[in-house]
Amino acid sequence: MIKRISLVFLLGFILYLFSTSIENLADIYNSAGKDFFRDNGFYDTGSMNLVTAIYLDYRLFDSLFEAGILLIAVSGVMWISQHNTLEKNATFMLDKQKTPELFITFSRLLYPVMLLFGMYVIINGHLSPGGGFQGGAIVATAILILYYIDISKSIDVNKILTIEKFLFILLLSIAFLSLITRNEVFTNFIPVDGSAGMKSIFLILLNIVIGAKVALGLIAIFTAFLKEGR
Amino acid sequence: MNPILSFIVILIGVYGLATSKNIIKSVFCVTIIEAGTILLFLNFGVYEGGLIPILNAIGIEIVDPLPQALMITTIVIGSTITSLALMLCIKIFHHYGSIEWKVVLKGDK
Amino acid sequence: MFLAPVLFVFIPIIASLVVYLFKHKLASYILFAAQIALFVLFALYIQALETNPELSLIVFGGWDEMFAISFYNDRLSLIFIGLTIFMWTILMMYTFKTNQRENKFLFFLMFLQGIFLGLIQTNDLFNLFVFLELMTVLITILISYKKTGPSFRAGIYYLLLNTVGAMFFLIGIIMIYYVYGTINIQYLIQNIDLHSDENLIKLAFVMMMSGISIKAAFFPLFTWLPKAHGVAQTSISALLSGLAVKGALYMFIRIYLEMFSKANYNMSEFFFYLGATTAIVGVTFALTQKDLKQVLAYHTVSQIGIMVMGVSSVSDLSYVGGLMHIMNHALFKSLLFLGAGLVIYGYQTKKIYEIRGVFKSMPWTSILLIIGMLSISGAPLFNGFVSKTLVKYDFKGDLLKMVLFTIINIGTVTSFIKFSQILYGPKVDVMKRKDALQILSMTILGIGCIAIGIFYIPFGEFVFGKDLSYVKIFDIRQWIDYITYVMAGMILYRYVIQRDFKPLRLIREWTITFENANYMFILYMVFISFFMFFR
Repeated sequence: MIKRISLVFLLGFILYLFSTSIENLADIYNSAGKDFFRDNGFYDTGSMNLVTAIYLDYRLFDSLFEAGILLIAVSGVMWISQHNTLEKNATFMLDKQKTPELFITFSRLLYPVMLLFGMYVIINGHLSPGGGFQGGAIVATAILILYYIDISKSIDVNKILTIEKFLFILLLSIAFLSLITRNEVFTNFIPVDGSAGMKSIFLILLNIVIGAKVALGLIAIFTAFLKEGR
Repeated sequence: MNPILSFIVILIGVYGLATSKNIIKSVFCVTIIEAGTILLFLNFGVYEGGLIPILNAIGIEIVDPLPQALMITTIVIGSTITSLALMLCIKIFHHYGSIEWKVVLKGDK
Repeated sequence: MFLAPVLFVFIPIIASLVVYLFKHKLASYILFAAQIALFVLFALYIQALETNPELSLIVFGGWDEMFAISFYNDRLSLIFIGLTIFMWTILMMYTFKTNQRENKFLFFLMFLQGIFLGLIQTNDLFNLFVFLELMTVLITILISYKKTGPSFRAGIYYLLLNTVGAMFFLIGIIMIYYVYGTINIQYLIQNIDLHSDENLIKLAFVMMMSGISIKAAFFPLFTWLPKAHGVAQTSISALLSGLAVKGALYMFIRIYLEMFSKANYNMSEFFFYLGATTAIVGVTFALTQKDLKQVLAYHTVSQIGIMVMGVSSVSDLSYVGGLMHIMNHALFKSLLFLGAGLVIYGYQTKKIYEIRGVFKSMPWTSILLIIGMLSISGAPLFNGFVSKTLVKYDFKGDLLKMVLFTIINIGTVTSFIKFSQILYGPKVDVMKRKDALQILSMTILGIGCIAIGIFYIPFGEFVFGKDLSYVKIFDIRQWIDYITYVMAGMILYRYVIQRDFKPLRLIREWTITFENANYMFILYMVFISFFMFFR
């Protein structure tokens, strides 16, 4: 009890510090970053969506390692979930459920629409809000609806892991391709003075690879949880 | 006003971490802290009357696109950490038979 | 050659992917080829940097360096890169024969090397955060690799606590971006004093320091470290003690000492006393443990305290002492862990009082263990002596600091006298593994300890560019000091520790729950903010 009251006081003190620090929030803003991206974003990268321009061209290096962390997490979850015979309390929940008919019918209607919408978000990432990561999550959700439709359908996770590693190597090689054409690493392989249409080939290609990778990774994680290593 | 609300969400998560006796509750509180951080980032760039940073934007008043790009990465990182932590929770339940911190951390030192 | 920083990161990553995808036994030899390639590249890069200093900065994509990611190498990061490549080669030699078929283990281990090399070179704050999170996830997977009960609970404790720390680090980043418009570290080093008396920047400092303190295992946030180091495999324990906490110390140096140096926050006394507290608490816990690996893990905590005492001081020579202690600690702590691993495998138990007669049963291993013990306690002619004397330089005249340092030294010597009890006794039948590479890797570490201890003056010139002739090996006072420590340690051991009084038993069994660890974290943050805002 004393611990909880003292905790409230300590957290209240930190909140008080924070609120005194942001009294003059609008005055201390330094807009150097915003002005740079606003003035040069479209002409440098060929993408109308400035957020996509940042994470696919100016800061492509970060996105490579974001794809990398997904790879590591999927491999780690798969390794940890494999059973050995020492465990005492392992019971499996999967065999005890029966999905209602209404749900199965609606999922059959919804599945192609979601898949199409996800692919639209991936491919149009540079012209409207969206991109590889967001669209990949939507595609993964669409494919996971299949588990509601037919619960005994299972996917071979080892093959998914191998495909995912090949996709990561493909992503690295597309990012390195600009070394040959422009003598700079981790950027668009079409030179800066190319037309916007040509430059968006790079963006669409990267978005598709990242979208596929994210979708496969999320499907693998969810399948590992569902099967618990069987 | 909005940055303070996001910070309150973060502090609620921290309070939860310091008082939860169950491992899965702790994982949820870490997820709350991540959600609060993402809201805090997005609140630091916007202002009244700013437009979204899409369409050929020269001369138009837009909000700052950099925090939004950083948050795309952070959301992915947060979801992977949550999935790894939950898989570890399942394995701890199989080995120890309970998911309370007191029982799990006792064991043999 | 201008791509060398990028190749440091990607050669290990691609080697690890190759090892994973081709499950053939011959594919694991590619790891040694990758390590040799990294060594050659490192030597060529250092040579190229002397003639062409603008190779030290590479901006990705050729954009304006304030708004894009860049890698920057100076003397500090080159020291860490050399240490990393050396340590990973030693570890590969140690685990090669036992883990040659476990391609997933080698995959995670090599990927971690690439990530660590990236963490050291990066010049962008958010990129630093991404590498930090990647390191957290990889180390969690490596800790839980054996899939026993204790390793899972150590893994989740580590993961949750470090993720909270990284989130607070992230909050600090956005506050800095809002005020300065950029997150380029070299730019912030030059220009931090433009806005450094804003309350928001002070709060950002508090958040970032709290995040780093969890990863670097300062007092009171070190409780994850003994759990993680005690249950992992031997090579992973050596890696964690040797290098993973050093990554957090590297971040501490970059952010506190370099980035906020012009801001004049005057926190060096605070961090000195924090380091001293960490060191004393570490040795106190180490004196009471009965498990071989836990003793070494608590010692890591106390040596980190000594490193922080050295690094946060204002004088140049103590800073070099702190850096040198980072390198020396990597060498002798890994030697001790690897040797302890062999002893545990031979005797099939982990308790100190059950292991006797190592000197007669495993002679070469015990000689290497003795070298490690002499190095960590600061005997002259070994490398621990050089770095500890340099750290002592700053407080020659200050009595309180000398007393604290002496207490830490006596505690260290006492606990290693306790550790060395395993050497006495008659010969016992042990299980041995015929692995020449293991013995070779530990021998290299032992030779390294002695070599740095004797030839420290050319070492100091080449690596740090500083004249280390303040340290004199053959000064009779230093020998008398060391022998006094050993005498005091023996008296302390015989009359206090060996009797195993009730308070010692209480300290050994006192654990801190997860909720209390977070409560300590909040207390620590409030404490730092008191120092920052109300002084």
